[in-house]
Amino acid sequence: MKYLVLIVKNLMRSKRRTILTILSIAVSLFIFSALVSFPTLAREILADRASSLRIAVHNKAGVTYSMPEAYKQRIASTPHVIAVAPESWFGGVYHEVYDQFPNLAVDPDQIDLVWDDWGISKQAFDDFKRLRTAALVSSGVMKRFNLHVGQQIQLKGTVYNFNVALNIVGTMSDKAPPNFLLFRRDYLEEAAGRPGFVSMYWVRVDKSENIPQVIASIDEQFTNSSAETRSESEAAFMGNFVQGYRMFFQLAEILGLIVVLTIGLVAANTAAMSIRERRGEIAVMRSIGFRSGTILGLLLGESLIVGLSGGILGCGAAYIILKVFAVGSPAIGLSNIQMPPIVVVEALIAAGLIGLLSAWFPARSAARQNIVDALRLVA
Amino acid sequence: MDQKYAIDIDHVTRVYKRDEFEVRALDDVTIQVPEARFVAIMGPSGSGKTTMLNLIAGIDHATSGRVAVGGEEITSMKERDLAAWRARHIGLVFQFYNLIPVLTAFENVELPLLLTHLKKAERREHVETALKVVGLADRMDHYPRQLSGGQEQRVAIARAIVTDPTIVVADEPTGDLDAKSAEEILNLLTELNRQFHKTIVMVTHDPRAERYVDTVYRLDKGVLAGIEPGKGAPQPAAAGASA
Repeated sequence: MKYLVLIVKNLMRSKRRTILTILSIAVSLFIFSALVSFPTLAREILADRASSLRIAVHNKAGVTYSMPEAYKQRIASTPHVIAVAPESWFGGVYHEVYDQFPNLAVDPDQIDLVWDDWGISKQAFDDFKRLRTAALVSSGVMKRFNLHVGQQIQLKGTVYNFNVALNIVGTMSDKAPPNFLLFRRDYLEEAAGRPGFVSMYWVRVDKSENIPQVIASIDEQFTNSSAETRSESEAAFMGNFVQGYRMFFQLAEILGLIVVLTIGLVAANTAAMSIRERRGEIAVMRSIGFRSGTILGLLLGESLIVGLSGGILGCGAAYIILKVFAVGSPAIGLSNIQMPPIVVVEALIAAGLIGLLSAWFPARSAARQNIVDALRLVA
Repeated sequence: MDQKYAIDIDHVTRVYKRDEFEVRALDDVTIQVPEARFVAIMGPSGSGKTTMLNLIAGIDHATSGRVAVGGEEITSMKERDLAAWRARHIGLVFQFYNLIPVLTAFENVELPLLLTHLKKAERREHVETALKVVGLADRMDHYPRQLSGGQEQRVAIARAIVTDPTIVVADEPTGDLDAKSAEEILNLLTELNRQFHKTIVMVTHDPRAERYVDTVYRLDKGVLAGIEPGKGAPQPAAAGASA
């Protein structure tokens, strides 16, 4: 602590240079943390789904192709299957075209068994089963449109040429997808004239080790049918969606690293200049008894403070901007995006490393310089 | 040896390598300075004065020979130990003051005390005493740029004495000062020697310095050319020397 005044005073030696260095590190860490947040968040979602006991069954031709609702009973009778929830895409909008969020119709009978981990209350499940116009809404959508339980809302059909009037009976916790609405499929079927097709089946199995067996069994049942199925674990199903963004994620990570490395080099140059200007003073300090290690520690301490200040500033700004951006872009499903804590840690470690490594070589050289030679430079 | 020497330089040679050339800055010099003396090392440029001062201060190493300061042989000390030794035993004063420009007079003087285990209040007490001794108690919050050259050198002297070192070494302390300030600095160093019994070794070109010191060691081309009593000596110089 007794050296803190010394460190702070040296940092304030050239305020403009210190502020500009902090800002340049802040900008690089802002870009880094913003870019790295997306792939990290995607990985976290996938990791979260890894322990899921759900299987997604969709048409082998693609998720946009439907399957007969008659598959439900056959899937339900597959060994190790506990529950089945057929799901149909409605694709409605709330008020305007940009008020979009995924809304799907599901069979209510086994919903509590299929999505028991989504934080839906028993009361809400019961109401959903009881009321034909019931809807369960995720917390993100509730917050975005300032909705409340008991409220009646209307979704305008975009795929279907009719609207649905729904009563919100409950909400889903953060474990569920952030922007999401579920309502009853029997309501949709009736309004659509009972076409008898579903977009997907969500299947709940008894144990994770039985997932491969159930997948194989379901797909085998519908081989050579008019709608062959492709079953995947929930993690694999989500992974396929994420796969589409893989190039973007890799590019984001590489760009983030390049920006950090570039600023690291700029910071190294600034540190080298700053330390070179003080070689005489450093020699004086050593001549009055400061050890090389103490000098090195002081110089690295200064640089670490600069790096971490930039890191906190950049990372904090990215956190806020990401929040603002997410709030402003709910239509593309980002309304609950926030910087994962691991990205904050990574950004601060990167900032600390920029600080330490940028100053390491000039500081080490200055701390070990020949005192007499350095004093001659002052004279 | 009955006499206790503050500085004992024994057959010291210092050779610098400058590219392919070898420069013999000191050549087999032997000097003993008794305790509590104020001595000057004089000589023309390139005579090895500063080299000798650097060896005494422990910021340079002899190529051969032995250097003992305050009874401790420093020739074989490792850099880490030497730094700690300098902090305890040496007070350095430079020609260009070499104060840290971003620190106030108080903070500059406090700098060597940061290396001690003294508490903040104790450090403050020491610094205030040192600044009082050099007559700058009312300037402790001033930055070096707000002080005159003479005042800056006084702060540098306060920094040199604040740890109560065994020896104060001063390299051309009046070299960058006007006549009046130079006189003040020489008087101050004399006072430190007389009142606080500090051993002071001063390298200087300034002929006025002879009036203040006990002994003058003259160097020429790296060898000891002579030892003369200074005019400030209260009694005949008791320094022993051989070259």
